[in-house]
Amino acid sequence: MTEPPAVANPEVAVPSEFAELASDERIAVASAALERNGIRPLLAATGADARGLVRSVLTDGAEVYNNTSQTLEAIGVADDIERSGRYQPLRLRLYRMDREMQRREMRTLAASPDYVVGSVHALTEDGSLLIASASGSQLGPLVSGAGHVIFVIGAQKIVSDVAAGMRRIYEYCYPLEDARARQSYGVPSGVNNILIINKVMTPGRVTAIIVNERLGF
Amino acid sequence: MDRTAPMSMFDYDARPVTPLPVIVGTTASRGAYAIRDFLSRNGYPFEWVDAGQPEAVRAVLGVAEVEPSALPLCILPDGSRLASATVEQVADGLGMVAAPARSEYDLTIVGAGPAGLGAAVNAASEGLRTVVVEAVAPGGQAGTTSMIENLLGFPDGISGSELATRAVVQARRFGAELLLARPLAGVSADGPGYVAELSDGTLVRGRAVLLASGVEWRRLEVPGIDDLLGAGIYYGAGPSEALACTGSRVAVVGGGNSAGQAVVRFSRYARQVTLLVRGRDLGASMSQYLIDHLSAIPNVEVRVRTEVVGLEADDRLRALVVRSGDGEPVRLPADALFICIGGTPRTDGAAGIGLATNAAGYLVTGGDAAGDPGGSWPLDREPLPLETNMPGVFAAGDVRCGSVKRCAAAIGEGSMAVALVHRRLAEVGGD
Repeated sequence: MTEPPAVANPEVAVPSEFAELASDERIAVASAALERNGIRPLLAATGADARGLVRSVLTDGAEVYNNTSQTLEAIGVADDIERSGRYQPLRLRLYRMDREMQRREMRTLAASPDYVVGSVHALTEDGSLLIASASGSQLGPLVSGAGHVIFVIGAQKIVSDVAAGMRRIYEYCYPLEDARARQSYGVPSGVNNILIINKVMTPGRVTAIIVNERLGF
Repeated sequence: MDRTAPMSMFDYDARPVTPLPVIVGTTASRGAYAIRDFLSRNGYPFEWVDAGQPEAVRAVLGVAEVEPSALPLCILPDGSRLASATVEQVADGLGMVAAPARSEYDLTIVGAGPAGLGAAVNAASEGLRTVVVEAVAPGGQAGTTSMIENLLGFPDGISGSELATRAVVQARRFGAELLLARPLAGVSADGPGYVAELSDGTLVRGRAVLLASGVEWRRLEVPGIDDLLGAGIYYGAGPSEALACTGSRVAVVGGGNSAGQAVVRFSRYARQVTLLVRGRDLGASMSQYLIDHLSAIPNVEVRVRTEVVGLEADDRLRALVVRSGDGEPVRLPADALFICIGGTPRTDGAAGIGLATNAAGYLVTGGDAAGDPGGSWPLDREPLPLETNMPGVFAAGDVRCGSVKRCAAAIGEGSMAVALVHRRLAEVGGD
């Protein structure tokens, strides 16, 4: 893993502008833009509503990979995927595999799930989605490997444009994620890869659930 | 799954985000090994904490020591604890024990190895109400195989655990049920069908039965070996122990493909792996691709015409005493010994119904069953191929006399048995 490009210090305050919920008007603008870009928008008033929407989109018995996401953990979606028995949770299947003998199987399994459920770091008012990743392993399935993609997005992640989205990643998400990774895994994080989804060419493949609650970071 | 091991980025992405069950125990504990082996073979992720590592214990329990009588201790994902935990308690606590959903099935399959799962997929896909009962975990002996490289359709090979996982998903997708973690206790006639009783008293009624219960490893006769089970002595390929063997000296006994696969797996972790083979060469019992593979691994040594005649141990295994040919016994340092020899047919639960076997205990089927010495065959027709001397009770895979001891052959027999089950069901009506 390469070292992060910026110094992260969890004690440093992050800009509060990126923690504020977007107004209903901005949510409506972003939602309409997503639809124009081929992404199905769904609106949820609460995290509990969003959890129900995720359940309604997922197919029972499907292979589902839940991306590392504070949002998914906070609203119970990670529990649903890994523990409900309704799906084939790929994280559990990957975790138990032999790192020496099953590397190839791990790679192929992680690359092409039926569903990926995750979040984003920024949603712009013109309907672009920005996702940063330290390892990058979760980005390939989002772009094309997964059959379907479901994003759950707290409304504080709505920004004006891509430039503001990049600022949100570097100045807000990264310090918080780095602190979390050091505490949870004992390793630093890093803005090593950034995916920007401007438009989706396969109708219905990507669903974005915007939640009118501050979820994740 | 070692909590103290450095984490790669792949682990970071592959690690479940919800709590895993935690097993706290000593490395020399047979009970702790039984739980690790059970969870590992069922593909259930868990964390292992060595009770001899105070910091690791403190991290999960808040205290540095555990009362020895409470070990092995299992912390379930909901936070509840099972002291002096057994496999049965852990399986139940994790929700792995299910009751049958139907009052009657067309086909009860005993054993979820390649033969049983092959039959389950085919039977369920053809509309038969199908249930599989399995004592331990799906996959059978093949399920612990590190990499099967000669199975049709998998040019890069497939691990036994992944094959079992996919087969279970496939069987369930067609509607087959799997009842895990309970051995078969008995089978009794029930009109033209049979009732299978599981160890916990669960009754499973089926119009036909397929015994695909496979074989268990043959016991190695060496003084003191039973005292070291789980403390350096293991039966089978021990996938749960691979990581723990990092940097250690491992010995494997056996000359078949399972032994060869175990050597390949352990060679990735252990400092040295020694394969001990009683026969003169491997060619008679092991596939050539595996023999070639073993010869190319630098930390693998193969000793033919060699037997284990003694063990050295304190609280766990430290060395073997082996004898090659007519030579003198010599000491072979070893931290772990994995025994993958031969097989004893697993027919315990079904024995009481009067099934005919050969002298070694394998189930006799087809024309051989018609002429069994007891003369028990009751129908005018001959037994169908794969049918035992009990009408409607079939056998497939390693447990069957005359079967080819290969994964692909077992899958084929399981599939073939389903066609014969259809004929039996038509005979008794309702198919």
